[in-house]
Amino acid sequence: MILAGILDLWNTSWPAGVTILVLGLGFAVALLIASIKLRVEVDPKIEQIHQILPHVECGACGFAGCSKYAEAVSKNPVLIGKCAPGGKSTAEKIAEILSLQISDPGAPLKPVVHCRAHTDDKTYYAKYQGIPSCTAANALPNVQACKFGCLGFGDCTRACKFLAIRIVDDLATVNYEKCTGCAACSKACPRNLIKMVPFRHENMMTVACSNKETGKVTRSMCRVGCIACGLCAKQTPVFTVEDNLARVDYEKYLPTPQTETALNKCPTGVIIYIGQNAPAPRQPAEKPVTAKA
Amino acid sequence: MDRVYVLLMGFLSVIIVNNFVFTKFLGTCPYLGVSGRLDSAFGMGMAVTFVTALSGILTWLVDFYILTPLHLEITRYICYIIVIAGAVQLVEMYVRKFAPSLYDTFGIFLPLISTNCVILGLCLFISIWGTNNLLEVAVLSTGTGLGFTLAICIMAGIRETLILVDVPECFRGAPITLITAGLLTLAFMGFAGMIK
Repeated sequence: MILAGILDLWNTSWPAGVTILVLGLGFAVALLIASIKLRVEVDPKIEQIHQILPHVECGACGFAGCSKYAEAVSKNPVLIGKCAPGGKSTAEKIAEILSLQISDPGAPLKPVVHCRAHTDDKTYYAKYQGIPSCTAANALPNVQACKFGCLGFGDCTRACKFLAIRIVDDLATVNYEKCTGCAACSKACPRNLIKMVPFRHENMMTVACSNKETGKVTRSMCRVGCIACGLCAKQTPVFTVEDNLARVDYEKYLPTPQTETALNKCPTGVIIYIGQNAPAPRQPAEKPVTAKA
Repeated sequence: MDRVYVLLMGFLSVIIVNNFVFTKFLGTCPYLGVSGRLDSAFGMGMAVTFVTALSGILTWLVDFYILTPLHLEITRYICYIIVIAGAVQLVEMYVRKFAPSLYDTFGIFLPLISTNCVILGLCLFISIWGTNNLLEVAVLSTGTGLGFTLAICIMAGIRETLILVDVPECFRGAPITLITAGLLTLAFMGFAGMIK
């Protein structure tokens, strides 16, 4: 009885099975022939390079993704150091695959926010209620008194793929532990506050301000702005004052007693340490200090 | 003239009135997944158009010349899947070899689409509709692809502007996308019944 049933099933269904098999075999053979005839020669080096890349697809190298970068770097070895998340070790591995020697790639570039004004430090003329984006807010003249400082709407936060930059009390704050140095935040900032800086030491000193107004004007709009008094430049040539704004020469910076003095003497406390586990910034003097410059 | 009219109506029908995304809810995964940016959405749409046209015609040929004469309509599903996957693979290899620039722009979408429901859905619908000439099949399957392109491009355009909107926290991301998709479907419901 069961046997008859099975036989019956077989008799009615074999054409279906055969058709599917023939169709499948036909395509299998066609694909096999195609894979031999239409083989695209890929340089095995590209495959190898692609495998050692970090696969975060961040685009810091300027290409559409890791596979595109692998292709480009195999053709043009000048691009070897472009992979920011991979850093030095990836650059060395790529050089090994391409059998090249690389010179020292230098210190890794990390973003530095050139502003330290939190909500309480800033002066506002009015409350902004438009599109919550720095680019949009920056198009308006009077969102906040300072035309140079951080707007705090987080264009950099949205640009960051590694959750390494956050807005804390209206100020972009970098988490250097998570940061890979891909420069996405630096490109996103409409006020160009975030600059990529060579980190030669674990903690770097920076002048966290971008305000180019004269000391008096700066003072009137921000508690922690650089008033260009020049006290820091008198201590050490690492600091220079230009356009009413003190700057650190990051290439020359070394932690010395002079730079430490400069940091402590700064009347508005705008010189701060940045980096992983950087010491907390000094609180600015409560009383307004008269500008000397 | 009558034939041209029928073809034109069929073409408009699958694009606007019986759009696969809006009325049959097929192909929703690329519709929601690749609609983040307009240029990639358009690339996806073009790739889908190509694959629908190709597989619609091929499966109809298989159905008309092999399956129907042998009374094997029951095996449509499996045969169609074999035909679609095989043909798309072949075309992908061919494009990669002979048109690398074209491959760079939409090649990555091809293998993703070959297993998409809008393709198999179209092939099965063509059998259900009982379409019995090749030209009609070609027009309908190209139209389906263009309808998908229309849907995904509208969606991508909306989502690009949606980024700048102050959406309530609980609706951010996927929820607002789904709501948008629903509203868009509602809007397209206005066309329902205009063409059979």
